[in-house]
Amino acid sequence: MTLWVAIGVLAVINFAIKAAGPALLGDRPLPPRVSLVVQSLAPALLAGLLIVALLGQGWREFDWRLLPGLTVIGVLWLLGRSQIVCIVAGVLVTVAVRALV
Amino acid sequence: MSRSVTPPEFGWRPGLRTGVGLGLAVFPVALSFGALATTLGWPPAATIICSVIVFSAGAQLALLTTLTAGSTLFLALGAATLINLRFLPMGIAVAGSLKGPAWKRALGAQTILDGSWAAAYQGAGRYDRLTMFGASAVQWPVWILGTVVGVVTAPPPTLVASLGLDLVFPGFFLVLLLDTFRSTPRAPWIAGIAILLTGGLLLVAPAGVAVLLSSLAALVILIGRGRGGTGRSDDAELA
Repeated sequence: MTLWVAIGVLAVINFAIKAAGPALLGDRPLPPRVSLVVQSLAPALLAGLLIVALLGQGWREFDWRLLPGLTVIGVLWLLGRSQIVCIVAGVLVTVAVRALV
Repeated sequence: MSRSVTPPEFGWRPGLRTGVGLGLAVFPVALSFGALATTLGWPPAATIICSVIVFSAGAQLALLTTLTAGSTLFLALGAATLINLRFLPMGIAVAGSLKGPAWKRALGAQTILDGSWAAAYQGAGRYDRLTMFGASAVQWPVWILGTVVGVVTAPPPTLVASLGLDLVFPGFFLVLLLDTFRSTPRAPWIAGIAILLTGGLLLVAPAGVAVLLSSLAALVILIGRGRGGTGRSDDAELA
């Protein structure tokens, strides 16, 4: 019973967290300083997500063999390649590195 | 950045395409959740329903691990909520891009997922809601299907690494982060501070909290600006 309650309550909390900003703020213009910060959230959160995906909780999921793949992705991005080409090349390099090391 | 780059596409179809790429990464994670939940004794129906109505890898794994470790309901929900609090600033960021009455915007906001939200970013604080909808519309059934397959087959967790699929999420976030360097003033500075902040926080705090607090790096944009938020030459880039 506790499990079902936990799942149900978590679903409601999750809904509320996602809905809060759009439902309460709508498309009302934000004050200029707040607007500037909101516009800067993307690089901040993306960098945070990248590091969490790479390192994991307590850095326990860090695997240096992902770094060559990420480097290839960065280089291909600089060369103007599409997103999917960058990712596929990175995955292939990672598989190759893991096969060798 | 003075170089030639393929311009990103936005809308339903590009969103669906992005969702297929993200789905490749989501599937093994969902599969792992289903397999782990089964191993730890969750009933199959509860595991699958959890994926249908919660649809959040971090929160579901937090709930699973804390509850099965003997934690109280309150603490388990607290851990899962902390992980998902990162969606609060993401929701604020997309608020102006969602249309219609409050209930409709609240429903549209349910498509906020890390990858979908990031793919929908058009630069200068704007988000394309159709791209976000499309990317999430693919990931949701993939997430449920992965959970079902995990519950039924319970494969070894090493499968994801051997296929290199654990690179998809960090790789995707890297590409999108680099894209913001073209559209957001001071993005490299903001990203650098966020990386240091998140890296340090991961040693002492849950991953969800680390991501949430990484948003503090956005405050860098205010340095050197007047109270009105203007006064720097890079304001023109935001217009």
